Amino acid sequence: VVYKIVRMSAAACQSLQAQGFTLKAYMKNSKVVGPPSAGAFAERPAKPTAFRKFYERGDFPIALEHDTKGNRIAWKVEIEKLDYHHYLPLFFDGLCETVHPYEFFARQGVHDMLEHGGSKILPVIPQLIIPIKNALNTRKRPVICTTLKVLQHLVVSGEMVGEALVPYYRQILPILNIFKNSNRNSGDGIDYSQQKRENIGDLIQETLEAFERHGGEDAFINIKYMVPTYESCMLN
Amino acid sequence: MTSVATKSYDHLGLGDGPKPKSMVRAKRWSEEVENAFRFQTAGYRDEIEYKIIMKIEPERWPVEPGYVKKLQRRDGTYYYYNRGRECQDKEVHKIKLYQY
Repeated sequence: VVYKIVRMSAAACQSLQAQGFTLKAYMKNSKVVGPPSAGAFAERPAKPTAFRKFYERGDFPIALEHDTKGNRIAWKVEIEKLDYHHYLPLFFDGLCETVHPYEFFARQGVHDMLEHGGSKILPVIPQLIIPIKNALNTRKRPVICTTLKVLQHLVVSGEMVGEALVPYYRQILPILNIFKNSNRNSGDGIDYSQQKRENIGDLIQETLEAFERHGGEDAFINIKYMVPTYESCMLN
Repeated sequence: MTSVATKSYDHLGLGDGPKPKSMVRAKRWSEEVENAFRFQTAGYRDEIEYKIIMKIEPERWPVEPGYVKKLQRRDGTYYYYNRGRECQDKEVHKIKLYQY
């Protein structure tokens, strides 16, 4: 019986794996493994959105259309008459959605409201930051993609909107910094995401350049603070 | 919301408005085709029919070339359009251009 125990412990010693800087790591037969992945790029589950709740309750002034031209929203009320303080943050909240029809209506609703909002957008900017941050923090590729395109639209949607976003770079830009270099090295193969405008690295570069162009004179230094590898598109 | 489609316009003395004499399908994109695309997406033949039915001028973008911006549909809902081109090449052949 004693002989058996000795053999088993010898086998266990051979496969002993230990985390670095632990007592186990000092043992002769232990093998130190590398640190675990921090999960910086891992997708994070999104909480149920208020957009979905409001949509299912029928609170939005939009009409559902089941036809082949499903790329437009029929508004029951003129957009000019909408309360932007109420509706725009709600539509932005829906950017976290990935399933139809929520994803489509959130994306298209944001697009229409930004395109036709003009001066009504600027006062709502502070309320948009948390939904934008939540959407980027999900770290889901399609969600980041949509949010980046929305950000590019947002900075050109009205006067002074780009400047108004500068104080909120600390909330928005960390995720852009994480994914800035996410370009696939496909050798000489074709990366189809480039044609479809879904390449996250390229979209982030475009977005940061749009921020710099429309963010006024303080924009570059603030971007550089959050995304150190960013180089100015205007100074160089 | 009232349905405009069921209304009669005989009292206007227009009947159903001028009838188009002929129709051709667009071969390539142009500004005229772009506007026709916008009216036809909203469910109207063209600008003439829109004016007769809705009795209002369609709202246009103030920036050049001034495409149609907003259209009210027959069911009372609104369609909004971008300031730039929306009609893609793959949709151009579906657009009908009417002549009077």
